[in-house]
Amino acid sequence: MVEEKQLIYLYCVTDREPKLEQTEALHNGLYYVHREGLYAVAGKVKELEFGEEGLRRNMADFHWAKSKASAHEMIIERVMTDTDVIPFRFGTLFGTDDSLEGMLGQYGDEFKAILRRLANKQEWGLKIYCDPEKLKAGFLGGEERILKIEDEIKTSSVGKAYFLKKRKDALLERALNEKIDACSRESFELLKALSFEARINRLLPKEVTEREEDMVLNAAFLVGKAEANDFLATADTLKMHYENDGLVIDCTGPWPPYNFCGLSTTEGQNGQRNDKISKCDSFGNPGQGPG
Amino acid sequence: MTKSANVTLLEILDRVLDKGVVISGDMVISVADVDLIYLGLKVLLSSVETMEQLRGSPFAGPMQEAR
Repeated sequence: MVEEKQLIYLYCVTDREPKLEQTEALHNGLYYVHREGLYAVAGKVKELEFGEEGLRRNMADFHWAKSKASAHEMIIERVMTDTDVIPFRFGTLFGTDDSLEGMLGQYGDEFKAILRRLANKQEWGLKIYCDPEKLKAGFLGGEERILKIEDEIKTSSVGKAYFLKKRKDALLERALNEKIDACSRESFELLKALSFEARINRLLPKEVTEREEDMVLNAAFLVGKAEANDFLATADTLKMHYENDGLVIDCTGPWPPYNFCGLSTTEGQNGQRNDKISKCDSFGNPGQGPG
Repeated sequence: MTKSANVTLLEILDRVLDKGVVISGDMVISVADVDLIYLGLKVLLSSVETMEQLRGSPFAGPMQEAR
């Protein structure tokens, strides 16, 4: 009988011995590799399923991707209940325990530094969605310039009305962007003041969010466990303040610190990520506002 | 804390597939390949054009993740 080839799937790294009894249902035979005070939580997966070819094929199957991504998250969340973790990206695979242990050795000092920085902190997510029609309806009464043009349109010739309407739409669009920008800035800055670090991520399209509203802000915050209640209360206040204006504020967590564990020594994405964190000192850039 | 099923899945995919530590080394799949696969899922879920448009949206300032 030919033995099926297996790969080693890495979930997270921590500096306390992880308790893995609770994770049996999520991944049979989850185990850890230990080296110099660090523990890498891993599990064996089939090469046919997670090897280059298999992964490419399986990622096209949304149900497969969904269930594996959810399991990835749940395993890290379980480990996170006992200790701080460094979460790895989906599909981080090794050929042997030796190579995984070697990686722990290679990046050990850096992992320890990251874990010190993350100690007693959690990641919280903030996404803001906008229903443009509802938002427009809400502020229209207060926009005198727009109301004036509307009056003018009623008494104008067809040609003039056409150009007035274009002007009205442009003013409306600008006012809309200003409102969205104000809400996003206020939310981001208020929550950032209660956080150790904050970053803004790219927006996700409706096909991914499956919501009718547009995503207008996608941010993540690294919050001290002691400050989590204040953070949540502030997010709730913002949510209530804006909910009737067509701006939906969605705060989720606590998450493993996916957004705040970039390595400084690796090039490419992680290097960029660190760069972005350091640039996240304030919201936006005065020269590049909307409108 | 809102964790309705739909929101959670979106949040999970947004993190697990796109964030978290990326290590190159003795990996079976290179970082570039993982990214390709991630892109594959996105293409399935949306379209590359939509993503490109969003990068040019009013909020795509220097704060936006450059990709």
